[in-house]
Amino acid sequence: MSHVNEHAHPITGPKTYALVLLALLILTVITVQASYFDFGAWNTVVALLIASAKGSLVALYFMHLRHDKFNAVIFVGGLLFLAIFLIWTLFDIATRQPVLPSNLKAPVQEFPGAPLGGPVRPSTGQPRGMPAQ
Amino acid sequence: MSTAMPSAHAHAEHGHTPFLQHHFREMSQQFDAAKIGMWLFLVTEVLLFGGLFVGYGIMHARHPEAFVAAHHHLDKTLGALNTVVLLVSSFTMVLSVWAAQTSRKKLLILFLLLTLLCAGIFMVVKYFEYSHKFHEGLLPGKYYSHKGDTVPGQFMFFSFYFMMTGLHGIHVLLGMVAIAWLVFRAMKGHFSSEYYSPVEITGLYWHLVDLIWIYLFPLMYLIS
Repeated sequence: MSHVNEHAHPITGPKTYALVLLALLILTVITVQASYFDFGAWNTVVALLIASAKGSLVALYFMHLRHDKFNAVIFVGGLLFLAIFLIWTLFDIATRQPVLPSNLKAPVQEFPGAPLGGPVRPSTGQPRGMPAQ
Repeated sequence: MSTAMPSAHAHAEHGHTPFLQHHFREMSQQFDAAKIGMWLFLVTEVLLFGGLFVGYGIMHARHPEAFVAAHHHLDKTLGALNTVVLLVSSFTMVLSVWAAQTSRKKLLILFLLLTLLCAGIFMVVKYFEYSHKFHEGLLPGKYYSHKGDTVPGQFMFFSFYFMMTGLHGIHVLLGMVAIAWLVFRAMKGHFSSEYYSPVEITGLYWHLVDLIWIYLFPLMYLIS
C-alpha cells in the first residue's frame, strides 16, 4: 500500500498562486467600483456574486480543493446546509404580511357549537388551555 | 492536528519520520486524516458564521434604510485596505505551504513571518476603525449613543458589525497564534516534504478566515 506522496498531492507552483492573487485583487477593485453603481434590487446580489467568485478562487486554488474531491464534497455539503438555512429564512421574510385588520380572516366556527374564532379542543369543544375534563 | 512529538528513537526502527503517529499506517494516511478533520471543523465554522449572516440578512431585509444609513459611518478605504492585506496574507500562507512541500526551510519561515505581518497589519487597521467607532458612540444595541441621526434603528447594523467583525477578528488572532507556533516548529526544522500537515491545515484555517472576510467586506462596507 505504498503510493507515492507526490501523486496523491500534486504541488502547485508560486506562479499559479501569484496569478490567483492578481485575479483576487482585480475582483476586489471591481467589487468596490460596482458599489458606486446602482443596480437597484440587484445590488446585494451583484456584490455576493463577485464575493463568491473570489471565494471560489480561494477554495479551489489556495485551499487545493481542485485536487481534493473528497474534502470538496464535505465543504460544499456544509455550504448546502447554509443555503437551505438562508433561503428558507428569506422565504419567510419575503412572504410575511403585516398584521392589519384587513388581513385578518373572519372568525370561523371550528365545528357546530364551538366558540367563534377561538382555538378549541376538538374532543370537548372547550377553549384550549383549560384543563381537560 | 498532530501535536505529539515522539522522540526520534522510538520510531527509528520503522524507517519513518518521527512524526508518524503509531495509529497511522503511513504519512499520507496521517496527512489525509488531519485534513479531513480540519475540513469538518471548517464546515462548523461556516455554519457558526452562517447564523450571523442569516441574522444580518433578516435585519437588512426588514430595515434597509437603517442599514444603508449606518454603513456610511464605515470607511470604505480602510475596509478595502484590509481586504487586500488579508488576500496577500492568504497568498503568503499558500506559499509557505509550497515551501514546506518542497522542503525550503528558510522560505517557509520567511513566508510564515510575512503572513504574521499581514495579520498584524489587519488587526492594527481594525483597532483604528474600532476606536473611531467607540469614540463616535457607534456601538451595538443599547450602547449606541451617536447623536444627530436622521434614520432610526442604526444600532442594529452596529450590533451585526461588531459581532461579525469581532468574531472574525478573534479568528485572526487565533490564526496568528497558530502561525507563530508554526514558525517555532519550522525553526526547529520539523517540516519537510515528508511531513507538513500542520502547515497545510493551518493554511486551510487561514484561507477560511480570508474567505469569510471576502463576504463581510461587501456586506458591511459596500451596501447601497
